[in-house]
Amino acid sequence: MNPAKFFQRLLQLAPVLLGVSFIAFMMLAMTPGDPVALIIGEHAATPEQIETLRRDLGLNQPLLQRFASFLADAVTGNFGTSFYHRRPVAEVIGERLPATIELSLVALIVALVTSIPLGVLAAIRKNTIFDRIATLFSLVGVSMPGFWLGILLIMIFAVNLQLFPVAGRIGFSHEVDPITGFMLIDTLLHRNFAAFGETLRYIALPAVTLGLPMAAILMRVTRTSMLEVLQQDYVTFANAKGLKPRRIFFRHALKNALIPTVSVAAIETGSLLGGNMIVETIFGWPGLGRLVVESIFVRNYPLVQAAVLLYAVTYVLLNFIADILYTLLNPRVKL
Amino acid sequence: MTVIASSTAGAPGLPIWRQNLRVFCANKSALFASAVVVLFVAMAIIAPIIAPHDPNDTDLFRRLQPPVWKEGGDWAYILGCDALGRDILSRLIYGSRISIFIGAAVVLFATVIGILAGLAAGYLRGWVDVVISRIVDILLGFPYLIFAIGLMAMMGPGLVNIVLALVYKEWVIPCRVVRGETLAAREQEYVEAARAVGASSGHIMLREILPNILSAVTVISTVRMANVIIMEASLSFLGLGVQPPTASWGEMVAGGREFIMEAWWVSTFPGLAILALVLAINVASQGLRDAFDPRFAE
Amino acid sequence: MKKRVLLEVNALKTTFSTRAGPVTAVDGVSLTLNEGECLGVVGESGSGKSVTFASVMGLVRANGRIEEGEIRFMGRDLRAMSAEELRLVRGREIAMTMQDALTALNPSLRIDEQLAEMMEAHLDDLPVFGPARKRAIRDRSVEMLRLVGIPSPEARLQQYPHEFSGGMRQRIMIAIALACRPKLLIADEPTTALDVTIQAQVLDLISDLRRELGMSVVFITHDLGIVAEHCDRVMVMYAGQVVEEGETSEIIEQCRHPYTRALLASIPRPELRGQSLNPIPGNVPDLRDVTNECRFRSRCAYAVPACSRPVMMREIAPGRKTRCIRDGELA
Repeated sequence: MNPAKFFQRLLQLAPVLLGVSFIAFMMLAMTPGDPVALIIGEHAATPEQIETLRRDLGLNQPLLQRFASFLADAVTGNFGTSFYHRRPVAEVIGERLPATIELSLVALIVALVTSIPLGVLAAIRKNTIFDRIATLFSLVGVSMPGFWLGILLIMIFAVNLQLFPVAGRIGFSHEVDPITGFMLIDTLLHRNFAAFGETLRYIALPAVTLGLPMAAILMRVTRTSMLEVLQQDYVTFANAKGLKPRRIFFRHALKNALIPTVSVAAIETGSLLGGNMIVETIFGWPGLGRLVVESIFVRNYPLVQAAVLLYAVTYVLLNFIADILYTLLNPRVKL
Repeated sequence: MTVIASSTAGAPGLPIWRQNLRVFCANKSALFASAVVVLFVAMAIIAPIIAPHDPNDTDLFRRLQPPVWKEGGDWAYILGCDALGRDILSRLIYGSRISIFIGAAVVLFATVIGILAGLAAGYLRGWVDVVISRIVDILLGFPYLIFAIGLMAMMGPGLVNIVLALVYKEWVIPCRVVRGETLAAREQEYVEAARAVGASSGHIMLREILPNILSAVTVISTVRMANVIIMEASLSFLGLGVQPPTASWGEMVAGGREFIMEAWWVSTFPGLAILALVLAINVASQGLRDAFDPRFAE
Repeated sequence: MKKRVLLEVNALKTTFSTRAGPVTAVDGVSLTLNEGECLGVVGESGSGKSVTFASVMGLVRANGRIEEGEIRFMGRDLRAMSAEELRLVRGREIAMTMQDALTALNPSLRIDEQLAEMMEAHLDDLPVFGPARKRAIRDRSVEMLRLVGIPSPEARLQQYPHEFSGGMRQRIMIAIALACRPKLLIADEPTTALDVTIQAQVLDLISDLRRELGMSVVFITHDLGIVAEHCDRVMVMYAGQVVEEGETSEIIEQCRHPYTRALLASIPRPELRGQSLNPIPGNVPDLRDVTNECRFRSRCAYAVPACSRPVMMREIAPGRKTRCIRDGELA
């Protein structure tokens, strides 16, 4: 891929990101009720105080001007003050981010290691019992409401079998000084292997809950694309060449079959972020998703707005990455 | 000299939709799934007749009463009661109304909007296409649930708001499909013929192109309904959906969360209901797709 | 002097199971191919010509099965072979090229790898160890590309299939197929995907290589023009059966089956420029509901009531066969 085309694509992101920011901005701007009243809350305030606050917040400026300053602030990472925490929104979000990223990555790994072998096997053993069970698994996985799956897993594996903890990120008995903010990495850096194991136990159920729907989708994609690849002329030709079945399978079929899987995985990682809110709420995971849900109920709107924007920007970038990956993996497609 | 027409599927001579219907009816699991969907819809419609109790009738003496087959259960409350002593079965039956109403309403509105926008973008091209496609791109830039959560947080809960929040994003999906199909149809002979005889754009879009792409859109819409139902349930679970005491499945699962130690049934049954309905819709729509839109058949 | 028989197929029957029931795509096909000979197999799509040779190579799709018949290659029974034994015949002794090189070459692998893996799979006279082996394979690859007329082969080995023109890709596919010097090359529709100007080049290349390497070639095609120029013998197939067989010159000059006649009439000829072509009316019958009658009957201009009885293949002269009861009147 040549750099000029790459930057051209990158440039095409600009209007989308601008639009996404505008919608995030409007979500708050359109909120019924006076934000000033929200900040002041129950406290009595004189009309002068209210007017001052209003001017400080820039609320008496026209809409587009407010959007412009919102954008300018957002670019510099200034998302205003979290009324609830009485600290900058960016700081509060930054604290919660590593937990969310860690959970998402582990869920992604769970999804990839289950879906690819299952999908490939289902394609090779098409129409056998195995294929049917795998297909059923993916159908159920897609149809399963994530919040219920989480509760079910807690009931079975945490409450009844007591194999995993019910909620949280690590037990109180372990003290781990944050280095990177990623527990799994920090515990290893401290060579605290007991805490590492403990962290794994805590992350297992939420990661499975978050990863399962994605695994179901990826399995389906892998199965379909593998079936399609196996029908391709180049697989027939590879057979006609008398190559060993193993080589035909891995080098010719699988390599091409995984191209759609990889790019769908990148896109679905974005959807994973959406699922975070529910899974983190159920498992008491101290990440961004839970913070957003909590903020809604204390009407901490600037934080919700910043989070919506953050999620959307990440999602757009992941889609972009999926696009680029697809192109890189596929020498035929030229940008 | 005779010309032999080679038929591709089943009985020759039947109209295509009848042939497709045959393929669909031969698919046992899709047929069964459709029956399950119909059953759920019927349940929603006649909920007041079949529900054994008032879904909002509270009685703390029945608090967390177990289902009938467990000790302490009784036949009056087959699936047991929740923390306020309300009958779970009756709430399940009434809850189906919310899921199905919202699912149907969102998909209906979204499909109508999506068809109109998609036709306009794909047929008229030019600045109309640019504007619509940009909006679509921007809306696609949000993960679904975040978008809905953000909107619900700002608009406040309520039935109408949920439908609005989901439609705002949902219409993009039929729109993209319709736009693509319209772009393809635009080059087809029948459209060019209509243009040649001077038919108006509106006529061509609605009378010529729309009937030809309707089956593809219908198939998409049925799949999307499953998705919308899960979205609604997720919002209700987070407390951003229909307001209590109205029964909705997502809210019922949430209500049972605190009691998973001592009363698993409160969360389990409504979750099972969501899974059953969504699974049935997915299986049925896959059958529909295989039969009516064989391009995507596996 | 009579040449030795290379490939012999007897009463081959290959059936596919489809949504709408079993379809017998190849129904009782027999053929003999001598060493060094070039056979043209002609027919419309759906005549079973490709499936016949897919059966020979053991490459029938998963929903298909060889029901009965005998396939002998150099006296060995291919149907009795294990999958691994058959694999060693494929590519090494019987090679195949496909209709469209663009889809037959793996888009995500470079040409050098696609050539090398063929040699890795079959050649046992290569050096066993690392660098020497690599060099030997590379030298052979360069030699093969040169053989099929690819300019600056060293550089082009590093490229992907999509970086070549259609004609060059076809040449590369031929180079791969011939990398292990097979005794038989099955060329399935070698020119259909190509421009007219390139078609002749590719066909000449295959014919030249045939003489140079002393192999047999089967051209599977719907184009009698190819056959006339490049093949020693012709076999015409229709609806899963062979309907006529013989020396190329005999078939072209005095065909003995109405289908062959119709095919000949539908060839565009320069000398008949300006006249309308004569396409064959009707379609190939649906193989699911063929009856015992002559399969060409419904489209045949010569059909008589007697054609409703089964028609057998008859030898009307040594090496000359037809499946028509009125062949005498056609001559």
